[in-house]
Amino acid sequence: MHKSFTQTWKGAVLAALGLTLLGGASAQAQQINGAGATFPAPLYLKWFQEYKNATGAQVNYQAIGSGGGIKNITAHAVDFGASDAPMNAAEMAAAPGILHIPTVAGAVVVAYNVPGVGPGIHLTPAIIADIFLGKITKWNDSQITRLSPGIKFPSTSIFPVHRSDGSGTTNIFTTYLSEVSSEWGGADGPKSGKSVRWPNGLGGKGNAGVAQLIKQNEGGIGYIELSYAVTNVISYAAIRNAKGKFIYPSVNNTSDAAEGVTLPADFRKVITNTSSVTGYPITGFTFLLVYKNGTRPEVKKLLQWCLTTGQAGAAAQQYAPLPPSVKRRALAAVASMR
Amino acid sequence: MSTTLSSPPNLLAKSTGNVAGRKLKNIVMLTLCIIAAGLAILVLGLVLYFLLSKGFSSLHIRLFTQLPDNIDTSKGGMAQSIFGTLVLLGVSSAIGLPFGILGGIYQIEARGRFASLVRFFTDVLNGIPSIVIGIFAYAAVVFPLAQRTHGQGFSAYAGGFALGILMIPTVMRTTEEILRLVPFPLREASLGLGATRWRTMWSVVLPAARGGIITGVMLALARIAGETAPLLFTIFGNQLFATHKVAGVSVPTLTAPIDALPLRIYNYSQDVDPNHNAQAWAGAVVLITLILVLSIAARFATRGNMQEEK
Repeated sequence: MHKSFTQTWKGAVLAALGLTLLGGASAQAQQINGAGATFPAPLYLKWFQEYKNATGAQVNYQAIGSGGGIKNITAHAVDFGASDAPMNAAEMAAAPGILHIPTVAGAVVVAYNVPGVGPGIHLTPAIIADIFLGKITKWNDSQITRLSPGIKFPSTSIFPVHRSDGSGTTNIFTTYLSEVSSEWGGADGPKSGKSVRWPNGLGGKGNAGVAQLIKQNEGGIGYIELSYAVTNVISYAAIRNAKGKFIYPSVNNTSDAAEGVTLPADFRKVITNTSSVTGYPITGFTFLLVYKNGTRPEVKKLLQWCLTTGQAGAAAQQYAPLPPSVKRRALAAVASMR
Repeated sequence: MSTTLSSPPNLLAKSTGNVAGRKLKNIVMLTLCIIAAGLAILVLGLVLYFLLSKGFSSLHIRLFTQLPDNIDTSKGGMAQSIFGTLVLLGVSSAIGLPFGILGGIYQIEARGRFASLVRFFTDVLNGIPSIVIGIFAYAAVVFPLAQRTHGQGFSAYAGGFALGILMIPTVMRTTEEILRLVPFPLREASLGLGATRWRTMWSVVLPAARGGIITGVMLALARIAGETAPLLFTIFGNQLFATHKVAGVSVPTLTAPIDALPLRIYNYSQDVDPNHNAQAWAGAVVLITLILVLSIAARFATRGNMQEEK
C-alpha cells in the first residue's frame, strides 16, 4: 500500500510538472487572437475559417463587443481588436500608435417581432427616437399605423431591446438618433456612445443577445446588424432617410451610403444619416484595431487578405464591401505597419 | 437519599404520560424530514430531467470530435471546449493541490498560532466569490503577461491560476479533517520505532488518509469544473485547439487562450442561433456528466480506503 501510494503521488507530481514545462516551452503561440465587435462577427468567423482553410493560419476571434475589443487591444492582451465605434480621444491617448483599418460597412436595422405583422413596416427617425425614449408604447399607436396603411397592427405593447455591453452597434444607432432627434441628442437626452443611459427597455449581450430577446418577446423592437436579422429571419423596418425616401436596408443601399462619405485620414468616422437619395441612413464602417508598430507579421498578412480576397465574400453575408477608394487607403495603412 | 432514588421513576412516569404526544411529534418531524429530503432529490431530478430532455437529442459524437463550424453551425461541435476543461482541471490541480495538501498537513502538524491563522484565512478565501478571484487573476497574471509579450496573457495558466486558488480551501480543509481522523497511536508507534516525522507522515499518516484526501481533491475538481465567472477574465475562449508540437507530439499550449465547457455553454446559451442553443444544452449534459463522474469517483476512492483499513 505504501508503494502504490507513493507511486501515485510521484506520478501525479511528475505529470503536472511535465505539463507545466511543455506549456512553458512554447515561446510564441501560433494562433492569432482577436476580440471585439459582434456587429461583423458572422462575417469575421466565416472569413477566419476560410483563411485557415486557405493558409493554415489559425485565427481565434471572440465576439465580446466593441467596448471589450478596445479594452483588450489597449491592454495588449490580443493581437487585434475590432470595433464599429471609432475610438474616442481618451481611448486613443491610452493606446498610442493604434490604427483603425476599415474592413466592411454594415447596416443597423430596426428589427421587430409584432404578431401578424411581416417585414418592411415604415418608420421615421422621430418615431424610432420616441419608441426608444418610451413615448410611444403601443404598436397600434396612430403615428406608427399611419405610415404603413396596408398593415393591421395589434395593440401589443412595445418592448424595446438594447445592448447591455459596450457596443459599436449602439454607438452607430445612438449617433444616428442624436443627429435626427433634438430630444435624444439634447442636454437631458441619452446622447450617443458605446453605452448610453437607456430610458427604458431590456439589455441583451451582443448582437446575438439582442436578436434573441426580440425573437422571444412579442412586441419586441431592437437594433441589430442586417446579417443577424436575415440569418435569424427577424422582420425589420424601412426607414425614411434624409432625402425623405423610405429605404428597406440591403447591401446595395448600405454601399450607397458608404460611397457618399469622405473618411478622415485615420478613418475614424461614423457614416449615419447619409445624404445619398438611395442610401440607408443607419450604417457604419467596422474597424480592426492594430498597432502600427510591433504587431506580428501574421496579423498584417491577415489584414491584407481581409481587404482583398475577403471582400468578395462580404455581400453574401449582408455586409457591403469597401468602396474602392477606401479599400486603397486601407491597404496603404496596412502596408505602413512595421 | 430516598428523594434521589424516587426522582428517576418520577421522570419516567411523567414521560410515559406523554407518550401519545411524543409519538405525534415524532411522526410530524419525521414527515418534515422526509419531505425536505424528497424536495432536495426532486430538485436534482428536475435539473437532470430538463437537461436530458433538452440536451440529449443534441448529444452527438460531433460534439466530442469537431470544432465549431462557423459556416454551417449545425455541423460543429465543441471538442476544444471539452479538451480545454480537462486541460484546465490539470493545470489548476498542478497549481492548487500542492498548496492545499501541504497546507492541510501543516495545520495538523504545526498547530501553532500561525496554523490557526492560516485556517482562518483559508476559510475567508473559501467565502470570496469566484468572480473576484477571476478579476484578481486578470490583474495578477493576464495583464502583466500581456505587457511583457504583446498579444499574450489570456491563457490556460491564468485560468488554472484562478481555478487553483478556488481549489485550495476545499482541499486544505478536507486534508486537515481527514488527517485529524488518523489515530494518534499510529504516529506514536511510528515515531517510537525511530522514524522521522517526515517518514511518519509520508509512510504512515498520508497512506492511511489517502481515500479522504482524494475525496477532497475530487470534490474540489467537481466544484471548479463548472465555474464560469473566473474564466471570463482569464482564458478568453477559443474556437480552435490551442496546441503546439513538442518533438512531433501535439501538446496543449498553456500560454494560449483556451476554451472551456462552462464558458462555451454561457456564450451559446445567449446566442440567437438555435443550433448553438441546442449545443449549449448538450454541452451542459456533458459537463454535468463529467462532474457526476468526478463525484462518483470520489465515493469510490473513500470506499476503497475503508476496505483497505478493514
